[in-house]
Amino acid sequence: MDGITRILRRFIGVTILICIFLFIFNLIMLGSVVFNGMYGEQSPKNVLRNVVLELERKDSNYVLGESAKNLLEQEHAWAMLIDSTGKVRWNYKLPEEIPLSYTLIEAAKFSRNYLMDYPVFVWEHNDGLVVIGYPKENYAKYQFYFPVSWISSLPMRTVTLFIGNIALALFLSILIGTRLIKSVRPLIAGVHALSNEEPTYVEVKGIFSDLAESINHTSDMLQEKNAALRARDKARSNWIAGISHDIRTPLSMVLGYASELEENMTVPVEQRQQAGIIRQQAQKLRSLVSDLNLVSMLEYEMQPLNLKSIRLSMLARQVASEFLNNGLDERFTITLDIPDENIKVKADEKLLLRAINNLVQNSITHNPNGCKILLKTCLSSDNQTCCFIVSDNGKGVPRNELSDLIELPYSSSRKRLVHNGHGLGLPMVARICQAHHGQLVLESEIGKGMKAIIQLPQVFIQQ
Amino acid sequence: MENIKNKKILIVDDEPEIRKMIEGFLRKEGFFRIYLAANCEETLKICHSIKPQIAILDVMLPDGDGFTLLSSIRQFSQMPIFFLTAKGEDQDRLLGLGLGADDYIVKPFLPRELILRLTAILKRVYTTTVTQQLPVFMVEGCTIDLESAVVRSNRGEQPLTAKEHALLLKLYENRGRIVTSDALCEAVWGGDYYGYENSLMVHIRRIREKIEMNPSKPKSLLTVRGLGYKLMVKKE
Repeated sequence: MDGITRILRRFIGVTILICIFLFIFNLIMLGSVVFNGMYGEQSPKNVLRNVVLELERKDSNYVLGESAKNLLEQEHAWAMLIDSTGKVRWNYKLPEEIPLSYTLIEAAKFSRNYLMDYPVFVWEHNDGLVVIGYPKENYAKYQFYFPVSWISSLPMRTVTLFIGNIALALFLSILIGTRLIKSVRPLIAGVHALSNEEPTYVEVKGIFSDLAESINHTSDMLQEKNAALRARDKARSNWIAGISHDIRTPLSMVLGYASELEENMTVPVEQRQQAGIIRQQAQKLRSLVSDLNLVSMLEYEMQPLNLKSIRLSMLARQVASEFLNNGLDERFTITLDIPDENIKVKADEKLLLRAINNLVQNSITHNPNGCKILLKTCLSSDNQTCCFIVSDNGKGVPRNELSDLIELPYSSSRKRLVHNGHGLGLPMVARICQAHHGQLVLESEIGKGMKAIIQLPQVFIQQ
Repeated sequence: MENIKNKKILIVDDEPEIRKMIEGFLRKEGFFRIYLAANCEETLKICHSIKPQIAILDVMLPDGDGFTLLSSIRQFSQMPIFFLTAKGEDQDRLLGLGLGADDYIVKPFLPRELILRLTAILKRVYTTTVTQQLPVFMVEGCTIDLESAVVRSNRGEQPLTAKEHALLLKLYENRGRIVTSDALCEAVWGGDYYGYENSLMVHIRRIREKIEMNPSKPKSLLTVRGLGYKLMVKKE
């Protein structure tokens, strides 16, 4: 479920990033779009200041500078100067309904709000109060009052707001994310099960229903294919078993009569020898049939294994004794190297013996001029695997042909054709190793002999 | 030995050629009371009427399989039965032997092997009146009598212990051939025999003291370095 937490984390990260981006974006929009055009060309404050600065007293009259006049003109505003007694001393384009004298209360009133619905702004002048008025409904005037304590806590409040926003974003993203994950989780489990070739069914509902459907479909298809494959393997294996069974009966007669002729003293020597050759070939055919059957059973995992714990040293002695007892040619020698009697494996004794016998027989068959054969048992450096090594000092095999030797003859993975023998021997040994969760490793080079290593998992025995 | 040859033998196989071939081999060996059957029905009929003393059964028969046939024969007869079949898988072999067959030979077979196993079974089953005799044999310089568990030589008679007896029997059964120390230990101590190698060496030395003229230079009970031991027997 590591994938799910990763998706959730990524999802939350992206959400927060989007929030921050939105916040910054909003700030920019606020400045550039919302507050843009809040005032016309000039803010009322600017106009007022200009008017105050340029309003000069000349004798008993007042004169307004040209630039200030232009400004007022532009804004369609009017202006007046009220002295300390409340009389209008000077005005500019004053509308007619505006009174020319004000009491203190009236002045206080319009300075804060409107003068007869004209939005007005006031500024202090040496000789009184300058008032400029804009056309009606041109400006809305608002007053703001804030307690100082509130102002001073404003940064704190802003930060709180900001954090609150982030928390909300986090909460929402987790909420949405987990809901998403909830609907994705069965899909993920389904896909994992698919890759393990397990049968799986994902409930079809929600936004991913079509995805769930196709997962279910794929699972069904995979199961069907596997079943078909198993059935075909079984059929193939049974077919080979059947053929080898059918070959055995006629072969019995070939072998029987040939060996009978070979031992019949009334038959001339030459014919007896020929009968002997027939008998030998029939025996070869017999071992080929049984090898073929075993390889096919192993290949399709139908060979039952009679597993028990076996000491490798015992196998080595048994194989060597058998070869010596059956009259090993004196051009061959078999040496044992058993550093540890206690190396044990869990294996089918008959199969393992057959594999080792096969390796030794290979050394003998392929080196007709004789060689030294070494049987060695050892443990790998990490104590995890046991090795049974069969090596000789014979003519060897080119290194690039080694990988071919354990492939089945005539299969597509075998590049070269079989040189001699039926080519089933080493593939059979390799498959016996695989059936025991081990492997066969071949090492050789031309003129440097052949080394076959049967690697099997070690069995730990409690002392 | 003569009475073995006049035993009634029943051969059951659906292939007429095979029946004929086996019959031929048996007749050549001196057996003359040979009966043939091609299926289960015939077999049961012959078993009831003729009461053969040994039967050779095929497993695959047209009207049934040999395993079931064996079971039905066993209901009324305890005669020795062995399978001769093209079904060579271990399971079949174990099934057949488990049902009480006396032997199991896989086709194709050598006629000699068939005859040897057949006579071995007949001897074992029908010569019990003479008691199952243990071998008495000669080695260089003495006679070993496993029947009475003694070694006789010009130095007199020396008894054999049970372990020495078991070792000599195992070695004699494989005379002239190497017997691995593992196989010897298993024969004497059975099952889990690891760690008995030193005891084995002690017992071998004691045997040599009894049968060898010069125990440190053995001539009959030879050590095959790293493998095991070999017993050399004088030809009778």
